[in-house]
Amino acid sequence: MNILPTLKCMTVAAAILASTSVLAFAKDITISVWSGGTGPNDTYRLDAIEIAAQQLEREAAIRGEDLKIKVEKTPYSDWESFKQALTLAAEAKKAPNIVATGHEDIGPWSQAGLIVPIEDYVDLDSWPLNDIYENLMEIASFNGVVYGIPQDAESRPMFFWKPHMKAIGYSDADLDALPQKVQDGAYSMANVLEDAKKMQDKGLVQPGYGFYPRTSNGPDYWQFYTSFGGTMEEDGKLVFDKAAMTRAYQFFADAVKDGVTKKNHIGMPGDQWWKEVATGKAGIWHGGTWHYARLVNQEGLTDFFGNVVFSLMPAGEGGKANTLTHPLVYLLTAGHEKEDMAIAAQLIKIASEPRINVLHAVKSAHLGISKAESEIDLYSSDRWAREATERLLPYANAMPNNADFGTYWTIMWKGLEASWTGAKTVEASIGDVETELKSTLGDKIIIR
Amino acid sequence: MNTSRMLGLVMIAPAAIMILLFFLMPVVLTGVFSMTNMTTATGISGGAYQIAPHSLNDLKSTMPDIAEQMAQPRYAIDEAGMKAVEGLGLDAGIATELRAKHIGDVFQTRREAERMIKGLDQRPSTPDVKKISEQFNRSVVNSRFSSKEELFSALDTLGFKLTDAQKDSVADVTYTGWNWTTENFSRIASSPDMARVLFNTLLYVALVLVLFNTAYAMLLMIWTHYMPSAPATIFRSIWLLPRITPVVIYVLMWKWLAWDTGFISVLMGKFGYPPKNYMLDNAYNAWVFVVLINGFIGASMGMLVFSSALKAIPKSQFFASEVDGASRWQQIRYIILPQMRWPILFVTCYQTLSLLASFNEILLSTRGGPGKATEVWSLAAYHTALNNYAGNLEYGLGAAMALVLVVIGIVLSLGYLRIFNYGTLVSRPLIED
Amino acid sequence: MAEKSQPSANYSTWPVILALSIVSAPLVLMYAYLFIDTITDTAAGSLIPDSFTLRHWRFLWETPAGKPNIWLVTLNTLIFATSVTTVIVLVSSMAGYVLSRLNVPGRGFFLAGVMVLHAFPSVTLIIAIFIVLQMIGLYNSLIGVILVKAAIDLPLGIWLMKGFYDTVPWEIEMAGVVDGASRFRVWRSLVLPQVRPGIMAVGLFSFLTAWSEFILPQVLAPGSKVQVLSVYLSALIADDNNFDFGTFKAVGVFYIIPVLIVYALFHKYLMNIYGGGSKG
Repeated sequence: MNILPTLKCMTVAAAILASTSVLAFAKDITISVWSGGTGPNDTYRLDAIEIAAQQLEREAAIRGEDLKIKVEKTPYSDWESFKQALTLAAEAKKAPNIVATGHEDIGPWSQAGLIVPIEDYVDLDSWPLNDIYENLMEIASFNGVVYGIPQDAESRPMFFWKPHMKAIGYSDADLDALPQKVQDGAYSMANVLEDAKKMQDKGLVQPGYGFYPRTSNGPDYWQFYTSFGGTMEEDGKLVFDKAAMTRAYQFFADAVKDGVTKKNHIGMPGDQWWKEVATGKAGIWHGGTWHYARLVNQEGLTDFFGNVVFSLMPAGEGGKANTLTHPLVYLLTAGHEKEDMAIAAQLIKIASEPRINVLHAVKSAHLGISKAESEIDLYSSDRWAREATERLLPYANAMPNNADFGTYWTIMWKGLEASWTGAKTVEASIGDVETELKSTLGDKIIIR
Repeated sequence: MNTSRMLGLVMIAPAAIMILLFFLMPVVLTGVFSMTNMTTATGISGGAYQIAPHSLNDLKSTMPDIAEQMAQPRYAIDEAGMKAVEGLGLDAGIATELRAKHIGDVFQTRREAERMIKGLDQRPSTPDVKKISEQFNRSVVNSRFSSKEELFSALDTLGFKLTDAQKDSVADVTYTGWNWTTENFSRIASSPDMARVLFNTLLYVALVLVLFNTAYAMLLMIWTHYMPSAPATIFRSIWLLPRITPVVIYVLMWKWLAWDTGFISVLMGKFGYPPKNYMLDNAYNAWVFVVLINGFIGASMGMLVFSSALKAIPKSQFFASEVDGASRWQQIRYIILPQMRWPILFVTCYQTLSLLASFNEILLSTRGGPGKATEVWSLAAYHTALNNYAGNLEYGLGAAMALVLVVIGIVLSLGYLRIFNYGTLVSRPLIED
Repeated sequence: MAEKSQPSANYSTWPVILALSIVSAPLVLMYAYLFIDTITDTAAGSLIPDSFTLRHWRFLWETPAGKPNIWLVTLNTLIFATSVTTVIVLVSSMAGYVLSRLNVPGRGFFLAGVMVLHAFPSVTLIIAIFIVLQMIGLYNSLIGVILVKAAIDLPLGIWLMKGFYDTVPWEIEMAGVVDGASRFRVWRSLVLPQVRPGIMAVGLFSFLTAWSEFILPQVLAPGSKVQVLSVYLSALIADDNNFDFGTFKAVGVFYIIPVLIVYALFHKYLMNIYGGGSKG
């Protein structure tokens, strides 16, 4: 029992020593940053903060301060364990200083007070923040407050395997015109199923490989709802458009019935999906702009443009051709020393510098976040970045930042999975979704 | 007497504390959470008061005027704000210039106010700009207050005179934390998916229990009984492997067996079948694998329990029956099986609880898929409480689902205590000083 | 009734062995390939490996970006498993003795509690357990998971230890007490040696379950500094950027070897417990 007071004394002494040394000599700060969904192509999500730290140290040195910043980087390759770890860590007040995550987390996390608005720390009218696309800044805001800074942008196109398209009768000229046709609404979701079926009937692809979408839950599936005329949010209230959702569910049920999509498609191993779309085993598929990086760098599809056409997602019945952008945002988490937060905010700001952000955009085939970025050689000389930006970004929607959107999403996905796998009929799924939305969200959602 | 009791208390204290901390408290907390609408958004440790745009929407119906007034975000360069700025200890020139050029100005947004401040001759640094603009903030929109009192006093200083009833409703709609509710249970009771999950759970427990934990284990016991002891030991060891193998590796092996590029797929490929994911191909397959994966683990326990019960049967009974010319089947039927009543009951009781709670294997193999076909109750509780793609974990509902299992667990255990005659288990201690 | 009057030695055993071999084949196959695949390469679409390679074992000397170092993870796992074992053995050998021999208030109640808890679906309490850990500041620390894991397996440990103490003849203790030794000394130097097999069994069992534990560290200690092998391996599998069964299996073999060694050396102790009923 005697050792405790002594121990306390020593800790206090050490603390005093430590604090004086901070004043007298250098300032050492550790900034931790986590990011979700970060594979080998996306490492600049974290590295950018490290580059920014070097820059900030130099700036401090010129001002005569000795600032040392250590950046602790934690990438999570998937989303589920990332969000679980992050929410629990934040709840336990052990969150990292900076997190790069999907913008949809802003709603619930700001309500919970897990994140603080970045506009409290940075001047949004200053470079480079004032050059970031207005709609992206909008997506990084909630309740009119700017919480995060967009880290990347992307959009989700429809991909067509050229050789198979040619084999079912499209000429090169037809294929060149296809993106425009999609944009004009002349090529619709019904045509997607039709062409997928043709490819299969001709034996170009195996059964179930005609239309080959994402294998797991993701924002992509809201795009189908939008494509069939659905709206996610109106005036701050979530919207469940029964007719549009029915058409979206029906699309997948039909795809399975026609045999162009596998019934057990959801949950198949991701690696296999990549290999298959890279080698022409799939006819038409749906993905994201960043897929380009993976297909070309990791999966060996060197002649991308010779083999693949990409377009907006075609219009479905009752909707328009569209795409969805799901920017990641850098967020500042609550519960840290004010000084650390200020430095973290500075790092985010510097990391948004076009020259730094472009490294991520081009390496991972995401889209740039600012106008100036698109003028940097690395970006403008990259065919993919240029074409994808022009063809897709102007038509991009985003999911709403709404604290209850996650609940809606979970229920919507459950219904889609049920009608896809045939566990329930489309009507029954929609009925169950409606019941569950009513009982969970009540008047927070407009059902029509 | 006294010292021994003291010693007893001291020696049992660590166990008591750990059980209190990690069993009793969690049980109580689960009960508490199940009565709330707690999610990531509401936080666990309580919320704050924030006049967000959506709360103003809610207020509009009951007190339109006040809501309208509150919605006015504005930054007013007034005398009170000037005083505060002067108190910040910044360069005096800033305040002087502000007072001279801008007193009386009103800005709609913070950004506009800050632009003005940055336009001052002595341009303050960004942190200072933020500090100065804050002094002129005359709006409550989006500010967070950690308590009701702070909220009300802020409203008061801004000139909102509210009645107590109005205060209450403002506090209600602006509260970001969780509330008490019994809705979780009505959701569980009414949701069609929950019924499905319940059905899955019963099916899962019943199938694994009947097919593997008892029937197959019995078969293993009998087979190993009728073979020389060397091969019997080998087979027993083989069947214990699933139990001692860490679950992540164990499931990995099954995946390798059943995946698209896995063993079965390649093997069937030799016969001309296209490769497919045999585990997730359809709900039926997924069920077969879920039952096999868990069954192989469970079989070993039954095998050992039954084997030791078998050893308790006097060898002479077997010899006697053989002399009488009994066939193997007759031995099984008339000698072995009658002795297995208690072991079977024991295994059934024990494994029911284990199976109800175990979701590791399903989580790692099918994740409850395809299409929630193999989602069982404990896994659904885990998914609800700790997994949400959009970052909003539903702690309250998850806790309510867990509570259902907790109650089942307690009821069953108490029932088992009766069956296995609790009285003899707690017989008085041997030595009493 | 052809077998009538056959002596027992002549019950033919080969059909039984054959049947059991057939049903055991999938298991044997899975374990055999678990080892073979780590040191060989197999052409796609083939079942027979065609070349020898060590590349699946690269994880031992190369740390991929964003993944913690394997040796740190192994060390964590070792610390985790041995600490859990120590805690369970210490606490349950004390509590088991009390429940077996000493008359403390609430003994019956405690014993009933242990009975109920030792088969309790405690994993379902994980959300609440997280809250408790968070309150005492041990979320995302090894100590936190160690305590939780030890607490969850404690009722079984206590129950088993009580069983072992019950079999110790009380004359031993009586002799000690009569000689004037304190009750604690009697326990420490006379009774404890008698239950060594029990301590071995509980200890080994605790070590193996802790070594295998997945969901608790996954949820309660996900940080890369405190990661254990189960979480490391499952994260590796979940990452679809480097999907390679060979590497997964190499990590798996690396992870399972200690288990197999312990099992091979001490399986007679373990049989008691696995037969007596444990979780899983």
